[in-house]
Amino acid sequence: MLALQLLVNGLVTGSALGLVAISFSLIYSTTKIFHVAHAGVYTMAGYVAWSLASRGAPDIVTLAVTVAASMAMGAFIQHQLYARLERRRATPLVVLIASLGALAVMQNVIAAIYSPNILQFPVPWGSKMVVLGGVRLTWTQILTVIASLAAYGATIWFFHRTILGKQIRAVASNPFLAEITRLYPQRVYVIVVAIGSAIVALPGILVPLDLGLQPYSGVTPLLTATIAMIAGGIGSITGSFVIAIGIAVLQNLSLLVIPGEWSIGITFFIFVIFMLFRPTGLFAAAR
Amino acid sequence: MFRSIRFGLALAAAGFLTLATASAETIKLGAILPLTGPGGLIGTQQQKGIQFALDHINAKGGVRGNKIEVVFEDNQAKPDQSILSFNKLVDLQSLPIIFTAYSGPSLAMAPLATRKKVLLVNAGAQADALAKASPFLINTLPTIGDEIAVLCQWLVKNGKKNAAILFENSAAGISGRDNYVTHFKAAGGTIVAQEPTQFGQTDFRPALLKLADAKPEVMLVSITAAAQQMAQQYKQLDLKFAVAGTTFLQDPALIADPAAEGFMHTQLQSQSPPALAAEFKQKYNAEMEFFVRQYYTASNILFAAMDKVLEEKKPITGENVRDAILKIKNFSGLVPVVFNSNTASVPFDLKVIRGGHDEQMVELKAQ
Amino acid sequence: MDFLFSYIALAEVYVLLGLSTNLLVGIAGIFSVSQAAVFGVGAYIVAQCLMTETMGFVPAMLVASLACIALNVLVTLPSLRVSGDYFVVTSFGIQLLATAVFINWTQGTGGANGLPGIPPPDLFGFALESNLHLVMLTTVAVALGCLAFRLIMRAPFGRLLRAIREDELAVAAAGKGVLQAKVSAAALAGAFAGSAGGLYATFLSFIDPVSFDLDASILLLTMVVVGGARTLAGSIIGPFLLLALPQVLTFIDIPTTIAASARQLIYGVLLIAFMLFRPQGLAGEKL
Repeated sequence: MLALQLLVNGLVTGSALGLVAISFSLIYSTTKIFHVAHAGVYTMAGYVAWSLASRGAPDIVTLAVTVAASMAMGAFIQHQLYARLERRRATPLVVLIASLGALAVMQNVIAAIYSPNILQFPVPWGSKMVVLGGVRLTWTQILTVIASLAAYGATIWFFHRTILGKQIRAVASNPFLAEITRLYPQRVYVIVVAIGSAIVALPGILVPLDLGLQPYSGVTPLLTATIAMIAGGIGSITGSFVIAIGIAVLQNLSLLVIPGEWSIGITFFIFVIFMLFRPTGLFAAAR
Repeated sequence: MFRSIRFGLALAAAGFLTLATASAETIKLGAILPLTGPGGLIGTQQQKGIQFALDHINAKGGVRGNKIEVVFEDNQAKPDQSILSFNKLVDLQSLPIIFTAYSGPSLAMAPLATRKKVLLVNAGAQADALAKASPFLINTLPTIGDEIAVLCQWLVKNGKKNAAILFENSAAGISGRDNYVTHFKAAGGTIVAQEPTQFGQTDFRPALLKLADAKPEVMLVSITAAAQQMAQQYKQLDLKFAVAGTTFLQDPALIADPAAEGFMHTQLQSQSPPALAAEFKQKYNAEMEFFVRQYYTASNILFAAMDKVLEEKKPITGENVRDAILKIKNFSGLVPVVFNSNTASVPFDLKVIRGGHDEQMVELKAQ
Repeated sequence: MDFLFSYIALAEVYVLLGLSTNLLVGIAGIFSVSQAAVFGVGAYIVAQCLMTETMGFVPAMLVASLACIALNVLVTLPSLRVSGDYFVVTSFGIQLLATAVFINWTQGTGGANGLPGIPPPDLFGFALESNLHLVMLTTVAVALGCLAFRLIMRAPFGRLLRAIREDELAVAAAGKGVLQAKVSAAALAGAFAGSAGGLYATFLSFIDPVSFDLDASILLLTMVVVGGARTLAGSIIGPFLLLALPQVLTFIDIPTTIAASARQLIYGVLLIAFMLFRPQGLAGEKL
C-alpha cells in the first residue's frame, strides 16, 4: 500500500518535472545554451498566475496570459541576451554566467515585489480530493498528470509532424547547413526558447498550485531536469520526460529501503555511476 | 610650550566628546540576518520586527533622547559572509550590539563577539549549542529542549506512547529532532519512525506517507517553514494520528487553515495585542508573525537595558548592555522574559488549534 | 583593521580556490562544477584533525591536500570518459552527492549543525590567533600557489594542457600523454583546493555545509570568469572583487524592506553587463 502511494506520488511529481526537462532539453539541444534563467521563467509563471488568480481572473484567462508572459520573457532573454552574446562569440562559460545573472535578477525582482513568503493560490477546487484505487489525490495532482501527458504528446506531435518543428530539428542538428537553406538559426532559437518557456509555464503554475509559491524554489527542479535530460540523451524528448519521472519515482520509492536523508544522495550516486558506464544516455540510440 | 598647547587641545577635545555623549545623538546598532535566499522568508520577518520596534522608540524620542538606528546586513545565512559583515560593523562603524539569527552564522560569530566584547542578540535560533557559545551571546528565547521536554511528558501522560518525527534537515530542525528523541524516550514513549524534509521544500507527502506507515499515535514536528503546506497535505492524505510541535507551529497561516484543526503545539507566550498587530498589518501589509514578535521583543529588551546603562551614565558598550540585561533580569513586554543566564527562560503554553484559533490547553512553565 | 584583514584573508582563501578552478576549467578545459565539494573535504579534514587533536596544523594540511588530490583525480576521472556537457552535469551530480554527505554524515561533519570551535592554526608551536597573523599565513600560501601556477603556465606542461583544451585529438595523435596531463592538472588543483579548505576552516573556526554547496562552486566559476580565465592576475582579481561586491553594495541606500533583494538584483545586472561588455574578464585574454 505504502509502495503504491509512493509510486503514485512519484509519478505526479515526476510528470511536472518531466515538462521542465522537456522544455530545457528543447532549448538546450537547439541553442546549446545552458539556460539556467529558465528556472526564473518557471518561477515567474507561478507569480503571474497567482497575481491574476487572486484578482479573480477566470482560470482560462490566467492560463493564457501566463503562458504568453512566459513566452515573451523567454524570447526576450534569448533575443536581448543570448543573441548578443553569440554575436560577440562568447564561450559557453560566459553565457552560463550571464544566464545566472539573469536568474538572480528575476528571482530578486519577484522577492522584492511579492516578499519571500510562501504564497497560497486562492483556488478552492485545487485541493478537493479524489480516491482512486485506495490512493488519495487532489484535483491539482490529477490535472498535473493530465496536463503533462497532453503537453508531452503535443510536443512530440509538433516536432515530428509540423513544418516549423522539422525546421527546428534541422537547425538543432546542424545550424550551418540550416543557414544555407535559408533557415535563420537566430530566429529559430527565439522561437524555440519561446516554446520551451510556454511548456515550462505549465509546471510553473501547477506545482505551486499544489505546494505553494516561493521566489527561490525554481533551481532544484531545473537541476533535476538537467540531469534527466542528460541521462535521457540530449535531444530525446521522450528520454528526458521518462527519466525525469523515473528520478521522482526513484526518490519516492527509495524511502521504502533507506532513510529519507539519503534519498537525494543515492539518486545522484546512481546518476554519477550511470554516467560512467553509459555516458550517452539511455535513449540516445533510439534518437 | 607646544606640549602644553597640545595638552590643552586634547583636554578640550575630551571635554567636547563627553559633552557629545551626554547630549542627544544617534545610537547605531547592527543586525546581520539572512535577508535573501531561502532563509530570506524568516530573515525579512525578523528585520520587520526590529524596524517596527525602532519606529516606536524613535517616535517616543528614542532612548533618553538618543535616536536609535540599526544597520542591516544580509548574510544569506552563510557563515563567511556573517564574519565579514561582523567585522565591517564592528571595525568600521564600531557598533557595540548586533542582532543575529540562525545557529550557523551565530556560532561562527560567537568567538569574535567574545574577543571584541560585542553583544550578539539572538531572538530566533534555538539550537542547544547556542546556550554556551559565548558569554556575549544573549538568547532572548530558551533553547528548544525546554519546550520539548514538557510537551513529551504531557503527550505520554495522555496516552500517546508511539511517536513519529517529521523534521527539517537543517540545524534548527535536527536540534528539535534530537530533543524529541531524548525527551520522548525519557518520558516513557517509543519513537517508531523519523523522516526528514529538505529546507525550503514544500512537498511533505513522501515523508508523511512513510511516517503514517509506522502507525504512530502522534507525529512530532520540527520544521521552521511551510507548516501550512504540511497541514494541507496531512489532511489530503486523510491521516488520523495527532500532530504536535513547538513554537515554530505558531504560524498565522497555519492556524487559520482548517487543515490544521486539532494540531497541538507549545508556544512561548508572545501574543501581540490586537491594536499592535493591526498597526503592524497596516504598516507592512503582513501578519505580525512569531519572528516579528521575537525581534520586536528583543529590541525592546535592548532599549530597556540601554536606558539603564545611560541612567548610570555609562557608555553604551556590548559589555555594559549585557550586564544591564542580566541585572534587570525580568522584562515584561509582549512576553515576560527572565534572564537567569545568557539564555532567557520564557513561560509557554500548550495550545490546540480549533476553528482557526489557538486555544489554551494548559499553562506550563519552563524549568 | 580587522575588517580589512578578515577580508584579505578570506579573499586569499578564494584566490587559492580560484587558482584551482582556473587550472582545471580555464587551462585544462575540464569544466568542473564540484570544486566546492573538494574544498569542503579539505576543510572538514583539517577541522577534524585539529579538533580531535590527532595532529598539528601543518601535518593536517598535508593530509587534507593529499586526500583532496586523490579525490579531485577521482571526480575528474569521468572527464576522460565523457566530455563537454556530459561532464558538466556529471560534475553537478558529484557536487549534490557531496552536499548530501556533508549534511547527513553527522559523525564526520557535524551535519547541518556544522562544526563549531575549530582551533586556530599553529606553526612550530605558535598559535596564530590574531587576524594579522592569519593574513600573513594566507598570504604566504597564496604566494606559493601563485608561484606554482606561474611556473606551470610557462613550463612545457602548461603548453601541453592548453593544447589539450584546444584540440584533444590532435594532442593524442601527436603521441602526447593526454591522460597523464589531465590527471596531473586535477591533482594539482586538488592540492590547492584542499589547502584552501584547511585555511578556511581554521580562519572561520566554524564550518557548515552551506559554504561548500553548489552555489559556492558556481561562485568560484564566476570569480574566475570575472577576473579573467587562464591568467594569474584574473585568479587574484576575481575573488577580491566578488567578495567585496556584496559589502560595497550595502553602502547604496535603499528602503530597508526590499534592500537585500535589490542588492542581489544589482549583482545580477552587473554580472550580465560584465558578460556582455567584457566577457574576457578584467585581466583576461579572450576566451
